[in-house]
Amino acid sequence: MYGCLHSPRPLPFEGSLLDIAREFTPRVEGLGTTVLLDLHGLGRVWESPALLGRSLLAAGRGRGLELQAALAWTRMAALLAARGRAGLTLVPPGGEPEVLAPLPLELLQLPPERRDLFHRWGLKSLGDLAALPAVGLAERLGPDGARLRRMARGEDDQPLVATPRAESFECTLELEWPVDGLEPLSFLLARLLEPLCAGLRARGRRAAGLVLDLVLVDRRLYRRALRPAAPTAEPRTWRTLLLLDLEAHPPGEAIAAITVRAEATPARLVQFSLLDPAQPSPERLAETLARLQEWTAAGRAGSPALVDTHRPEAFVMATFSPPSQAAVPALPSAPRLALRAFRPPLPARVSLRDGEPAFVSAPGIRGAVVDRAGPWRASGDWWDVAWSREEWDVSLGGGGFYRIFRDRMREAWFVEGEMD
Amino acid sequence: MSAALKAALEDLLRCRRLQEEGPPLRGEDRRLRPLPTGIQGVDALLGGGLPRGQVSEVHGPRSSGRTGLVLSLVAASMARGSLAAWVDPADRLAPASASAAGVDLARLLWLRGGARGPRARGLPEAVAAVATLVGSGLFEAVVLDVAAVPVHELGRLPGSTWIRLQRMVADSPCALVLLAEAHVARGPAGASLELRASAPCWSGAAGPGRLLRGLGTELLAGRHSPRRVAFELQAPV
Repeated sequence: MYGCLHSPRPLPFEGSLLDIAREFTPRVEGLGTTVLLDLHGLGRVWESPALLGRSLLAAGRGRGLELQAALAWTRMAALLAARGRAGLTLVPPGGEPEVLAPLPLELLQLPPERRDLFHRWGLKSLGDLAALPAVGLAERLGPDGARLRRMARGEDDQPLVATPRAESFECTLELEWPVDGLEPLSFLLARLLEPLCAGLRARGRRAAGLVLDLVLVDRRLYRRALRPAAPTAEPRTWRTLLLLDLEAHPPGEAIAAITVRAEATPARLVQFSLLDPAQPSPERLAETLARLQEWTAAGRAGSPALVDTHRPEAFVMATFSPPSQAAVPALPSAPRLALRAFRPPLPARVSLRDGEPAFVSAPGIRGAVVDRAGPWRASGDWWDVAWSREEWDVSLGGGGFYRIFRDRMREAWFVEGEMD
Repeated sequence: MSAALKAALEDLLRCRRLQEEGPPLRGEDRRLRPLPTGIQGVDALLGGGLPRGQVSEVHGPRSSGRTGLVLSLVAASMARGSLAAWVDPADRLAPASASAAGVDLARLLWLRGGARGPRARGLPEAVAAVATLVGSGLFEAVVLDVAAVPVHELGRLPGSTWIRLQRMVADSPCALVLLAEAHVARGPAGASLELRASAPCWSGAAGPGRLLRGLGTELLAGRHSPRRVAFELQAPV
């Protein structure tokens, strides 16, 4: 048997009908302002369908809703009767066509062209449509015509598809005695995270983020939200990340209650390749980066990414997130001499002879130029913050090879770095 | 998987040239395979490369080719799909140079010191970060660049610093490389490589249009009865 509740007026909040329906049965299908209930097996609980129907309406009135209800032996009959008739409608088995016949055709929620066609044919009610011959309707409208006729007669074309409950992954622990310090908190977090992560894994989920709410002894709410690079449902990983975060950002007061809430996401499916090296575990990577929080928080840790420009030292620091499968740059044919950069470049005094550097003096660097290559001029960004420089590679008598440059905008010399 | 079956699989991969060098299979202990530097003469001298699970050092005066050698090591490691970390308390690494050396920057974790202010990260923090990186087991090569750190600052580190780091790296397939100006430390089976610059190579006669073509350098391996090899580092464009 199926039941249906319909609200002729807009609902105060979405899901209110689902909440009412779930008080009677766990299998419900939400359709906006209408909800269908699977009442099979409830005959042992309720004396009669009428009593069940009156209880459904009473439940709605208890929440301030004036609803329409119907009970029938087909899903479609219950749906149409609840939408089309006020109060409670009981459809006897086999009596669906008679009960639905006087109801208006608009209940089928037809597309405009179909509605206009039926209007031109003079059809006004479900009974008018149900009375048409099935074969003739199918010949004119195809399978859709036959389907609409079945619907008008209260026959089912599809089963009830239950609407799943909104998932909530949250655990709360109220403490008898306030807790102060990371060590006791570690045990409490383990007690919360174990069942939370087990629930996630049981539903094939991972936690993309975690919110930790600490109610402190002075009634303040202290909230920390973590979002690692990759979702995980490992309680040990989450406990480590939370403890590292609290170590860097202590709450300042003793803790009276703890709530942990997970932002669930579908589990990641990865098929490893036989030919590629094993990829780093995202959980371990997240833990490692969390332990380096002092560096990452200051923006001093990550992967450098070159910027596509001729401006020297043009790079940005990106979050360290190694690609799972990416083409590795080809190795050069011979090992390369590297530049060890000075940041910022060292101001230098350079003596010239015949227009070429002859002596260089800078903090920690001093010597006559033994040999040199240059000048190599470069400039750019004239439309923004312009730069223009003249570069030299110099070898100093005291040892060392350096790249120096003259900033042509400021008319000053600098040591950019040493070749090593 | 039995050893015979594993060996047969690797032979099959090599015969069909699916890979030039078989990557480590899952669960395979890679500790016995040294970490190649990517420079043929140096690898031949070291018996394949730098030993894993050991603290090794690459030291020499300025412009001796230390950084180029270590970048070549990191690039060769990444060519096999591994990750590497560069702990740089003095913030001296040039990403463009690293990229020119073949380093895959997306696989390089760079920790930069050198900033001023309350968030400045000094040498003790850098050593702690190295311990974290080595302990994670994620990186095949971890480089601690102390070439620009003053000697007196290095002397302020506790004497047990390098012993503790050696103990941490001993159980991992990672190679910890110290890049320094003078001898610092090495593990009991680690390599100690000293570089000495020889003559620079210039293109053409002195004058406009001349380029620094490269730097010849000599590497000495071992502190007592060192073995030598010479090689050239090409200058960046």
